[in-house]
Amino acid sequence: MLIAEIFDRCRALVDDTDLSTVAAWKAAHPGAKAIGCFPVYVPTELVHAAGMLPVGLVGGGGHIEMDHADSLVQSFVCSISRSTLELGMTGRFRNLDGLLFPSICDVARNLSGMCSRNFPALWVDYIHLPQNRASAGVVDYYRSELARVQVGLDVLAGRTTTFDALAASIQAFNQQRAVLRDLHAFRRSFPWLLSTEELHLLTNAGSVLDVAEHTNLLQETLNLLSMRKGKPKDRIRVLLEGAFCEQPPLELMKAIEEAGCWIVEDDLLLGRRWLATDVTLNGDPLRALAESYVRQDTVSSVRHERPRRRADSLVERAREARVDGVLLCSAKFCEPALFDQVLLRNALEQAGIPHLALEFEEKMGVFETPRTQVETFVESILFA
Amino acid sequence: MYHVAGVDVGSGTTKVVIMGEGRRVLGVSELRSGADLEAAAVEGLEKACRVARVDHARIAYVAATGYGRYQVGFRDVQITEITCHARGAHYLFPGTRCVLDVGAQCTRAINVDFHGRVRKFRSNDKCAAGAGRFLERVAKALEVDLEQLGELSLRSKEPQPISSVCAVLAESEVINHVSQERKTEDILNGVHRSIVDRLAALLRQVGLESEVTLTGGVARNIGIVRLLEARLERQVNVSSDAPLAGALGAAVLALERMRKLGAEGTHLYVREGQA
Repeated sequence: MLIAEIFDRCRALVDDTDLSTVAAWKAAHPGAKAIGCFPVYVPTELVHAAGMLPVGLVGGGGHIEMDHADSLVQSFVCSISRSTLELGMTGRFRNLDGLLFPSICDVARNLSGMCSRNFPALWVDYIHLPQNRASAGVVDYYRSELARVQVGLDVLAGRTTTFDALAASIQAFNQQRAVLRDLHAFRRSFPWLLSTEELHLLTNAGSVLDVAEHTNLLQETLNLLSMRKGKPKDRIRVLLEGAFCEQPPLELMKAIEEAGCWIVEDDLLLGRRWLATDVTLNGDPLRALAESYVRQDTVSSVRHERPRRRADSLVERAREARVDGVLLCSAKFCEPALFDQVLLRNALEQAGIPHLALEFEEKMGVFETPRTQVETFVESILFA
Repeated sequence: MYHVAGVDVGSGTTKVVIMGEGRRVLGVSELRSGADLEAAAVEGLEKACRVARVDHARIAYVAATGYGRYQVGFRDVQITEITCHARGAHYLFPGTRCVLDVGAQCTRAINVDFHGRVRKFRSNDKCAAGAGRFLERVAKALEVDLEQLGELSLRSKEPQPISSVCAVLAESEVINHVSQERKTEDILNGVHRSIVDRLAALLRQVGLESEVTLTGGVARNIGIVRLLEARLERQVNVSSDAPLAGALGAAVLALERMRKLGAEGTHLYVREGQA
């Protein structure tokens, strides 16, 4: 397959809010079920090990009109929560059998309750991710939470997940994470050969594909990228932070890069890279998953951290990626991102790292203002 | 030794400047932008290279500006017109503190520092009144060559008022004056006065300071220049290269980048086929 064909395929998968790919998977796996997983991080290995398809819920993008959800949710709530509800209220969850929500913010918590009430045909669970990583009992607690969720999934699937099945699923996701790491490393070194828009499409295609198929697609792309040719333009290197849950429109990413930036590091679709290193299998796979979550160094606004740790982590990442500036790009009304913004801006200020704050929402259609903001930011660095 | 290019793809014309390492202008070109902006940029670059007697493959760095800057596929960087006109005006008149750029579609007042860096700017609204395109329409309505507008308007004894700020409505007023058999030079002078009113207001919004430099195609209109000087009560810098200011600024900034990239040892931008 040509690389352009891969991106076209990914775009078609991402744009399909009717989840017809999921319907096709279910048709090919009679009796198997599909579970929608809300961002940011959900241990999808549990869903996969139960013989089900974990489906990433990434909102409605710019594709759907909010005709129903606005009657239930206030307009000052983030787009992804409203569009997720709209997808369900317009029958687009018909190919799903359940929904899993992680404890990332009040909105996600309330959304899980609203889905329980409004979509009674769906199994809905809310996973309590541990917030206090320093507690002595954190791994034990999280293992028990994972076991609880696994039981619920098993009841829905009508089977019992064995340790071997879970270990195999963990291996499958380890492989996916490894290729994603390679793709991000490639973009960091050669951003003119792999745009952030393209990387996002590739990653997001995994929302509706089986993990093995997605890993193969990523690997094939990586092989083709090594043969891609292109001339670098004179742009600044930036880190984009704040879009860990709701995703900015692809046109915004494109506008940012066209305005003179190479996005070489970001927290887009962070859940797929939350476990930054492989989950080490050593006996009990549930414990391995729990330990991995607790020990991982992924710092985000949706996990409790000491304020200094959150700020220092961003500065460290910016320095590691050798960026010229940071774009604090958060979704409108995203409380976790906006709560952290002052903290992060102060830290960047102190570290002498130029930064710019941008705001987005799923259905924004005009990108001239952010483009001009970014262009001005770029010029202030290039011609300082 | 290397050369750089500043490419200004405006809504009316495309201007290209080829510059050498010592900030010396080696060649320029100016042509209508038309509907295919990328093609205009390519043609403009080739023309300017021919004038400069430089192989276009030897152009080490291309900075694009203007309304069509994103259509210049061969650019190394794109820069806003505001930054480029500020640098271009400073290149032409190093004492410049205020820049008034009046192009075909946009008018901008820019306050700059001693190095030609932007401190403040204001642009006109979406309406084209006060810009070159409006003058083109007036010239057509009055059946006068665009190049003659300025000289002709200076002969006016009884300027006719044009009160509308909208280009379309102002054009109607012009036609109304024609139907009342007003003299062409008086109508033109009134048109120029209405434009200068808006230019002066825009300039005051960014803080009027000496020296003021006029850039963009409208700087060729001597009628506007004289009226502006009278309104601002000071001399206004006007160069015969005023329409090229955006491209000149882009070329100056391209040289700055080349020097910086060389100093940083990260000069990745040698074109294919070049050593």
